[in-house]
Amino acid sequence: MNRKLVGQVTTVEKNEIQTLFERRNGLNELAKILTPENDELYEKLVKDMGETGTKFQSWWDQMSEKYQWESSPEGNWEINFDTCEIFLVTQ
Amino acid sequence: MPWEIAKQAIDYILAHESDFKEESVIWDFIGGEPFLEIDLIDKICDYLKTEMYRLNHHWFNSYRFAFSTNGLNYHTNKVQKFIEKNHNHLSIGITIDGTKRKHDLNRIYKNIGTEEKGSYEDVVKNIPLWLEQFPMGSTKVTISSADIPYIKESVLHLYSLGIKEVNINCVFEDVWKDEDDKRFEEQLLDLADSIIENNLYEDYACSFFSETIGKPLDISLENQNWCGAGRMLAVDAKGNFYPCTRFAAYSLRAKRPIIIGDIKKGINKNLLRPFLVLDRFTQSKKECINCEVASGCAWCQGENYDAAETSTIYQRSTAICKMHKARVRANNYYWNKLYRKLELEGKREEFEANKKDLKPEIC
Amino acid sequence: MLQYFIILLDDTSASYCHCENTKMERRLMPLETLRKGIRFGMMENLMIQFVYPDYELPTEYNEVIEKIDHSKIKPLADAADVLILNKWQLSDLPNDIPVVLRTSKKDLFARYNELEEVLNKVERLNVVITDVETFTEDDFNTYKLVLSALSSNLERLYVNDKSPQLNLLTDRMMLSQMNNCGAGDTNITLAPNGKFYVCPAFYLDEETDSIGDIEHGLNIKNEQLYKFDYAPICRHCDAWQCKRCIWLNRKNTLEVNTPSHEQCVVAHLERNASKALLENIRKYGTFLPEQEDIKEIDYLDPFDNKDKWQ
Repeated sequence: MNRKLVGQVTTVEKNEIQTLFERRNGLNELAKILTPENDELYEKLVKDMGETGTKFQSWWDQMSEKYQWESSPEGNWEINFDTCEIFLVTQ
Repeated sequence: MPWEIAKQAIDYILAHESDFKEESVIWDFIGGEPFLEIDLIDKICDYLKTEMYRLNHHWFNSYRFAFSTNGLNYHTNKVQKFIEKNHNHLSIGITIDGTKRKHDLNRIYKNIGTEEKGSYEDVVKNIPLWLEQFPMGSTKVTISSADIPYIKESVLHLYSLGIKEVNINCVFEDVWKDEDDKRFEEQLLDLADSIIENNLYEDYACSFFSETIGKPLDISLENQNWCGAGRMLAVDAKGNFYPCTRFAAYSLRAKRPIIIGDIKKGINKNLLRPFLVLDRFTQSKKECINCEVASGCAWCQGENYDAAETSTIYQRSTAICKMHKARVRANNYYWNKLYRKLELEGKREEFEANKKDLKPEIC
Repeated sequence: MLQYFIILLDDTSASYCHCENTKMERRLMPLETLRKGIRFGMMENLMIQFVYPDYELPTEYNEVIEKIDHSKIKPLADAADVLILNKWQLSDLPNDIPVVLRTSKKDLFARYNELEEVLNKVERLNVVITDVETFTEDDFNTYKLVLSALSSNLERLYVNDKSPQLNLLTDRMMLSQMNNCGAGDTNITLAPNGKFYVCPAFYLDEETDSIGDIEHGLNIKNEQLYKFDYAPICRHCDAWQCKRCIWLNRKNTLEVNTPSHEQCVVAHLERNASKALLENIRKYGTFLPEQEDIKEIDYLDPFDNKDKWQ
């Protein structure tokens, strides 16, 4: 596996994706314990998962458009939350 | 802790969001051994997740469940299921004290026939699984007088198990004997040599060695309290609140517990005030204020309180003084030796650039 | 540095501050203890203040007491240097000695108007609110109004060339630095049992809480914590009239150097009322020209401002 440094975002931008990342994790783990029996909360969860997923993807789309990071068909981008650096990871 | 007490504590904390303005929360489970109560913990964590979400609490976006475990039950089905369910929000440290002979000095099974049996063999079996699930897992090792001869071998042994970060410190209590500081210093010097000569500094960290310790501190610019007592909330099985678990009756030798409230009455904020304004100056003797190697010399407010001549948190315990000074000397040796080696190898710049701990989170 | 030495002559000696004296049984200080206490005070060069019970002392006690320069703090006006009132019995007050009125917040809020006449007569009135730790937000608001009313009274008096002192309002106008009780720092107390205490309240609260005795001397552990420099919140405060009651501190926060929220807010309401009074009196002409203006602040509890000074 190769990891190549391809860019860096600002702290504000990093915070945006980190919040979404954490929220997405939280929603995924909540989905393991909530069931449709808990109507109101379950519906809220399903809707939230969709919205958060969309925002999550949007962030990557917008940032890659802004910064024009190197990409690869077999690769994906990763972010280091400590350094705000973006890496291209390929197999 | 009964489930009802846990639930009421959670309900209180989450209902008082304005009193807990911190951006993130760590829900820390301590025992004795937390994983002995995995069913209760599982129920508590499920309730926490659901309630934080239901209440739109800001902590839903930033929380962790933390455990410091002896590791004996780590492999069991229930614990593994819990880990799988909550993996992205878990911080689990396994307490393995070092080599078998060091670990088994203190960590023994009770009530096993007539012979004492150490737990090392059963703990070490779970280390590979733990590191597979938490590659950056770290361990916490405490050093008392009897542990000194095993420091070097224990740190190196933990590295050999794949544990890259060893957080190790001397206890704050007054347990030190004559010449312990010299023995301690020798161990650290030996450890320093091993780490540097075998290039272990590239991939492993030991908290004994830090570039920031051993400097004088400006009393006006560097007066902050570093201890978190008062900035956390400890809850006991009866639902009593403490500024830190160290102020509960079971943690204290000589003083009454400091209970700052409970699940029914809430927190008495007046009792928190001393903790939140405590600083280095107000609790320290002049000798400590003027110490030329003051930085990195830590304190525990609980031990301060327990050891103080009066019932106060404002008398700093200095039982650890000689041990800190010994650590500083060994630390100076470590960095002088390491820097020189890096310079001779032309790797100093690279080392400085890579110094920050890289823990990439995958998006 | 020690300057004052308080000698409680009896277990039922009048309380002159926040702590209530609930002891009912008389226990006069043994004469020999009194002699030793006076000797101690003389050798340490301290100003001695005797706190009296409400009954006449035996002749031999008076003889011993009169051999040394001292002040008498008494619940009766007869020969007192400071008169303590534990009830709102405000008629026939002496006009040449300070009067201490101990009151609950409830009584103060209901009867503060009666103080107008008192201020017209006495030289100095100290009002001590005995249950300050029970103040609620509503109480703070009420207290602010009470201080405002008292301030108006004082303003009238000062403008008409009278200058009574009321601790709650005039002290801050006249101070240029902290002026606190000083218990454990500038003064200590000798109780009838022959032991030293930080102040009478510590004795009345818990007899085992002594800091030495007359036979073996003073033994104040962690004595620095009674000093102003070792009070993290107070160091950043300019409500200089606050008594910084050590006993209340320990009662409410468990630390002698840390006041409670209620103590701080009450002190700042007084401070702000003093500010307004000073400004109002100065509108009529020069008044205390050597005193600086009291600054405008946006907090009532310095603890809430701690991010600025930490």
